[in-house]
Amino acid sequence: MKKNDKFIDSVRRRSSELDNHIIDEFAAGHIDRRAFLRHGSIIGMSLPLLGGLAGAFGSSLWLPSTARAATPGGTIRVATTVPAAAIDPVTVADGGGLLMLQQTGEFLAISGPDLILKPVLAESWKPNQDGSVWTFKIRQGVKFHNGKTMTAADVVATFDRLADPANSSNALSAFSGVLSKGNTKKVDDYTVEFHLDAPNGNFPYYVCSDNYNTIIIPADYAGDFEKNFVGTGPFKLDKYTPKVGASFVRNDDYWGPKALPDRTEFTFYADMQPQVLALQGHQVDIINQLPAISGVALLNDPNVNIMSLKSSAHTQIHMRNDQAPFTDKRVRQAVALCIDRKKLIKGLFKDRADIGNDSPFAPVFPSTDKNVKQRHQDIAKAKELMAAAGMPNGFKVKLTTEKYLEIPEYAQVIQQAVKAIGIDMELNVESQDAYYGKAVYGQSDWLDSVMGGTDYGHRGVPNVTLAAPLKSDGTWNGAHFKNKDYDTLVGQYIGALDLQSQRGTAGKIQELLLDETPILWTYFYDFLTATTKKVSGVRATAMAQLFLENASIKS
Amino acid sequence: MSFSGLLLKRLLLSVVTLWLLSLIVFAGAQLLPGDVGRAILGPLADARAVANLNHQLGADRPLVVQYLDWIGHFVIGDMSMSYTFRSPVAPFIINAMLNSLKLAAVAFALVVPLGIGGGVWAALHVGRPLDRLISVIGLSATVLPEFVTGIVLIMIFGVWLDWLPITATAPADADPLTQIYYLLLPSLPLVFVLFGYIARMARAGTIEALDADYTRTAVLKGLPRRTVLWRHVLRNALLPTITVIATQMGYLIGGLVVVEVLFHYEGIGSLIYIAARGKDFPMLEAGILSIGIVYTFATLAADLLYSALNPRIRFGAVE
Repeated sequence: MKKNDKFIDSVRRRSSELDNHIIDEFAAGHIDRRAFLRHGSIIGMSLPLLGGLAGAFGSSLWLPSTARAATPGGTIRVATTVPAAAIDPVTVADGGGLLMLQQTGEFLAISGPDLILKPVLAESWKPNQDGSVWTFKIRQGVKFHNGKTMTAADVVATFDRLADPANSSNALSAFSGVLSKGNTKKVDDYTVEFHLDAPNGNFPYYVCSDNYNTIIIPADYAGDFEKNFVGTGPFKLDKYTPKVGASFVRNDDYWGPKALPDRTEFTFYADMQPQVLALQGHQVDIINQLPAISGVALLNDPNVNIMSLKSSAHTQIHMRNDQAPFTDKRVRQAVALCIDRKKLIKGLFKDRADIGNDSPFAPVFPSTDKNVKQRHQDIAKAKELMAAAGMPNGFKVKLTTEKYLEIPEYAQVIQQAVKAIGIDMELNVESQDAYYGKAVYGQSDWLDSVMGGTDYGHRGVPNVTLAAPLKSDGTWNGAHFKNKDYDTLVGQYIGALDLQSQRGTAGKIQELLLDETPILWTYFYDFLTATTKKVSGVRATAMAQLFLENASIKS
Repeated sequence: MSFSGLLLKRLLLSVVTLWLLSLIVFAGAQLLPGDVGRAILGPLADARAVANLNHQLGADRPLVVQYLDWIGHFVIGDMSMSYTFRSPVAPFIINAMLNSLKLAAVAFALVVPLGIGGGVWAALHVGRPLDRLISVIGLSATVLPEFVTGIVLIMIFGVWLDWLPITATAPADADPLTQIYYLLLPSLPLVFVLFGYIARMARAGTIEALDADYTRTAVLKGLPRRTVLWRHVLRNALLPTITVIATQMGYLIGGLVVVEVLFHYEGIGSLIYIAARGKDFPMLEAGILSIGIVYTFATLAADLLYSALNPRIRFGAVE
């Protein structure tokens, strides 16, 4: 015990005020071990150090596993959705495409299964006092697959390219208001500074695997990634055939431990059903992403392993705050009270989802205030609210939504549920193209409909989901929710550097949204990956990335 | 009119048809919601990025300019660049077309003998249980959608019995026999769809021919039954069947989206489907026109075959 105290003291002496704050929080029991690891990793404390501290405080150690499986060699075969377009780190916007990027490309850091940041091409990072400048130390001795050495210049070019409005960058919407072109600065060959548009306590998440376009590629990139897949990762390109598949082989010049498999093969599928059949028929070993609703056949198959990751992926049901009948918040609350969330999760996801409490704060986020009371089904209360709002007999309304995964079924559940308070709901399920339209106000059913259902993918921090769909000037604000107090709170949350103040603000935001109910959040569903029993050592992220360097297969 | 004159006329008509088709496809593609930049970058991408991408690809030019630019290249054999894949369209179309032709050929080789054989057999046993059985099986198989028969077949032969591969795509270096082996399972749903149709036509034609005066004459003048059947009955009975089979070529080449997706096969049907969803106009046009060309030639070939079998309409015979 004495030895531990000594260790803690020595760490404290070397640590910044911010680091010590986190250590205090953990020592006092305000945050649990997982939150300690995760939050410490955001502000740039190293994982071994955090693990050591966790151990010193008597908490068992968990680190992202680097344990190596026994048998190197072999070929791992993966089924995945066909990439929607050319593979270009600047433009890729879909699951199939981002999976390809990350097979040869690497990020500054990876957001792992517990949303803990693990350094990859960055060795460490630190914010300044207010979180407006973040300094990243870049790993030395890393070579691109074309033989060139990676330096800070490549990192700067990668982020400038993505933050440039003239570049068709898919990451532009994530970077707008956060990082502008020209504000990523090289300090020396292995140090980079990000000068942000506004203080941001979660900035490392914007340059990690969560922002899937940010694989580091050479500064002289000419837009031809698909030809050579030049990255820095443990695998390099063997062959890529658009619409058909891709294969990769071990990179023997890799800077870290060499990959175990000799080779990986990806087959592209246009639909889910053939992937399920291919796994059952032993033609592939892994299905990268298995939506619960189309993968029911595999969920209970004794020959299949299901890897389940908690995520923040969800569907938002917005109600237009500026249009009848939803101008009165009591009506919006009443709708929210009609839904039996537990039953919904069982039905749509076979229980593989977390319950939502009508705010973007998913249970998976450490900053989520779990003391905020969960909203449950309460028809009597809903009827009271409807009567108080002057609509005891309900009304007619149309719910417009997209044909995507479980959403049409979800819409039907809502339609049935609100009958209890006299709401006669008409469903309008459109193709995704028709629903999103031009994706600007006035030319999009998504942003214009009085009530709409929209899918949102996983994100490692709630920053984007707090801002774009809810802030007064948000670009995805289908609910047309405008609330000054809310805008201020979100600004505070995004700028907050330490977890305790993030959580304090989160609690206020959660209460505010629960009261206003501009949008329904009823579930956050798990990310599922299916493998045969022969495969082990596979790591996935809820972002649909798949890391196979530690994978092995029994012959 | 001479044979070559007629052929020329038919070819010219085909060109006009294909040009009209290209116009219709172009106009139809404009009716689809969304644009190619949005399709590539997704609904959540920044509007500036989408506008940039559309500009880079040339998808923001006036419609007439886009069409003229495209057809200007197409007529000199250049299929342009795919918007979505940012690489030439031609290799995609050629590869998909070859794949589709292979699948169609295997399905054809299975269903034509089966269908005609079944139909003729039924006609020779009109009203007996065997005739009824063939008709009922044919009809039931035709109304089952391919995705139903496809999944059932995959479960039986691919997963439970493990006799046939589930995907239609053979390994890259496979020999022709292996390729056929891989195409057997995906052909079966097509055989199911077409068998009933072809068998019914063959049966009706045979019954009619068996009743015809020339057949009675042939029988009465003492020709052996086999000769009567081959030389007089079938030759006349199968004429309508040939036309029917030819009109199915369009479906067999371009209409197999469901089978291609289910059996994971890179055919022209799914290529067009993906191009339409991605607003990839050059790919869509090239894909649909290639099917149009195959269809036109299949119809032409059927007409030529028809005339070869039927002296009454043999070209030039009238003059």
